[in-house]
Amino acid sequence: MDSSLVALIVLSLCLGCGCWLVFLWAVKKGEFEDIERPKHRMLDDEDKP
Amino acid sequence: MPGAEPCFHCGAPIPPGQLVTENGSGTTLSFCCRGCHGAYLLISGAGLAEFYRRRDWQDTGVAAEDFQSNLSAAYLARFVRPEADGATVDIIIEGIRCASCVWLNEKILAGLEGVQEARVNYATGRARVRFAPQRIDAGTIFSRIAQLGYRPRPYTASAAQQAAQHEQRDLLFRFGTAFFLTMQLMAYAFGLYAGYFQGIGAGMKNLLQLFSLAVTTPVIFYCGWPFLAGAWRALKNRAANMEVLIALGALASYGYSVYASFTGGEVYFETAAMIVTLILAGRLLENAAKRRASGSIELLLGLSAGEARRLKGDTLETVEAAALEVGDRIVVGAGERFPTDGEVISGSSEVDQSPATGESLPVAKGPGDPVIAGSSNLTGTLTVRCGKVAAESFIARVARLVEEAQSRRAPIQGLADRVSALFVPLVLAAALGTLFWQTSHGSSGEAALLNALAVLLIACPCALGLATPTAILAGTGAAAAAGVLFRGGDILERLSRVDQVAFDKTGTLTLGDPELVALQPEPGYAADRILALAAALEHGSRHPVGRVICAEAVHRGVAVPQARELVTVAGGGVTGYLDDEFLAVGSARFLLECTLSDPPRPRDYPSGTLVVHLAAAGRLVGTLLFRDRLRPDAAEVVRYFTSQNITGWLLSGDRREAAQQVAQTLGLTRALGELTPAQKAQSLEELRRQGAVVLMVGDGINDAPALGTADVGCAVAGGTDIAIETSDLVLVKPELSRLILAHRLARRTMRIVRQNLAWAFLYNLVGVPLAMAGRLTPIYAAAAMALSSLCVVGNSLRLLRRTDG
Repeated sequence: MDSSLVALIVLSLCLGCGCWLVFLWAVKKGEFEDIERPKHRMLDDEDKP
Repeated sequence: MPGAEPCFHCGAPIPPGQLVTENGSGTTLSFCCRGCHGAYLLISGAGLAEFYRRRDWQDTGVAAEDFQSNLSAAYLARFVRPEADGATVDIIIEGIRCASCVWLNEKILAGLEGVQEARVNYATGRARVRFAPQRIDAGTIFSRIAQLGYRPRPYTASAAQQAAQHEQRDLLFRFGTAFFLTMQLMAYAFGLYAGYFQGIGAGMKNLLQLFSLAVTTPVIFYCGWPFLAGAWRALKNRAANMEVLIALGALASYGYSVYASFTGGEVYFETAAMIVTLILAGRLLENAAKRRASGSIELLLGLSAGEARRLKGDTLETVEAAALEVGDRIVVGAGERFPTDGEVISGSSEVDQSPATGESLPVAKGPGDPVIAGSSNLTGTLTVRCGKVAAESFIARVARLVEEAQSRRAPIQGLADRVSALFVPLVLAAALGTLFWQTSHGSSGEAALLNALAVLLIACPCALGLATPTAILAGTGAAAAAGVLFRGGDILERLSRVDQVAFDKTGTLTLGDPELVALQPEPGYAADRILALAAALEHGSRHPVGRVICAEAVHRGVAVPQARELVTVAGGGVTGYLDDEFLAVGSARFLLECTLSDPPRPRDYPSGTLVVHLAAAGRLVGTLLFRDRLRPDAAEVVRYFTSQNITGWLLSGDRREAAQQVAQTLGLTRALGELTPAQKAQSLEELRRQGAVVLMVGDGINDAPALGTADVGCAVAGGTDIAIETSDLVLVKPELSRLILAHRLARRTMRIVRQNLAWAFLYNLVGVPLAMAGRLTPIYAAAAMALSSLCVVGNSLRLLRRTDG
């Protein structure tokens, strides 16, 4: 039983790590740089990419 | 060996690990960065590779990006501005996190031989150092800051933004990592607690503890590094602030748990990780608010007109405002802003000086009259001789005043820091006392040390760390929902302690636009007819009175006839023809000059009103009275502050009588008129020197220095951008009554903070004796910690409840 628990813990850690890496990537890419602008963007007339 | 040769493009040595290579024409070229590589591709792609063989560069390297390690005096000399009695240099100090950092830097720099003055702006993280160049050079100043553990950089606008961005990103990394690891940790902690109550195999328990240890270690030493470093700095300084308390609590519970996990005891890793994660979240929000504030100075300078039309001989040329020199003649059309201070040479017009002086009504300008930068030309075209260069204009002077006011503002030590300064020595004494008492009473050294650690662990609970941030967060959240924006948590605390309030007049207590208060037709004329004729003449006018007349005509549904041959005379009025009848609207003097034979009968008009007459075919037909109207809720706000024993002041740039009259109507204690922006700031500075905590409410450019000087600056929506950007607190809608709400909320928030702190202490009162006696059990620790944190958070959330109190 112990070994299956260990496996599950390691698995959850790996899953978490995946999310964490995605987060790091997003910060590096500047996703959180401007959190005000995007919510107004949909109100702009011209559709920029 | 590729790293040995310099960058092909810029000639700088290539830092290890940054090599970029390009295989061109049979040889391998090396570059120090992608930028240089791109530049090379661009140049060679355009067939200009010859450039690399022809050039003869003395200096190698592009702009030094990496000056942390080599701050050469020659490089820094470029940022030093010589002054009459010394020199000044602006420095960005990266790593400023709290009021104590500001204090430390100021003290250390001021203590340097040859430094005359050092001021650090908390909001922007900028320092301004004045020094004697003969006795010290900029390099020494910079290396001293670096020795303190901060990263100094010479200031340029883009460098400031980059540093702020870098810090925000760094904080985000730390918080994200802490959050992720703490979530993992919670799962293990849950297992351990369940095991404590229901039983768990020793091997499994140890395994979970080791996993906990693995995920907590980076939280403490990577995510919590800013606190550890800050605490260390404070300790070296012999000061105890909130950071010391956080570091103490986190390290104690970490140390205790590490020991326990190898000796089979119970662990408290989650306490350490939670403290770090929650405090990081608070920092992140605080930083975002701070970053917004740093844009104010740039905005202020952006307001002075970017371009000007200069007369060169007889031709007009468009030049940048910065290029204007004293004596240049420039042409300013209707609707444009004056780029710099000067004197009118020809033309006549009316000028709206309200942003600069606070005068509510436009001022007539003719040859010989001075004009102020930033004010706008309303009716006619003016030719102006520049009296100052743009960098010394009114706007630029105000910009400097604002910046000085902001950096002079002494940081108020927060409640939490004051409590920590008292609390940390007490806790340390209790821990040391435990150690000595237990060793002298026969306990083993190991057990005594563990108990001492347990005292630290229990004495620095999450509740204490959460007490202030959660209340402040809930408080600012509730305020935002009510239309009041606080620029940071400390503003709430300062607002709650305010005992003097100063108001600007025009645009703050009054609406700033004239209002038609009476329409007096001569016998035989209908009021609507008078309005229709006046509106016909004022059609298309830029004058505020003209606009009000037209708006009133539309509002009352009066049909406005079309007048011909409209002529506007600046400072006088407008003339025109309607059905061959000569019409004129304007001041009595103006009508007397152009159409009337007898002056209008003098009447007793209420003071502070603007009187406009209308004449048709040489006869006076009606009179219109205007005045600047008080905001409907101004009286209520003044009454509220009086009832709270807060002294009210009126600081106005307008005429003394006008200021006094408004103050009397509203019941304000003191009124000062004809103040320049600098004098407004000075009068607040004097109040503060006498120990008062001052709130300033304003809206104009001329209020900006005062807003920056006051302990709390409040701007009203609809004011100038500068006022909004320099203030700590913004009313989102132009309703003064929201200020009452903000003040009540600030007081309530601080009450909650005090309750929270009291609760955390109560918990200590029970917990510390238990820990000192060595009777701390996991059940008690878990229950108390969860309970106290829940109580504190729940108490703070009460602020979000909508109440009218």
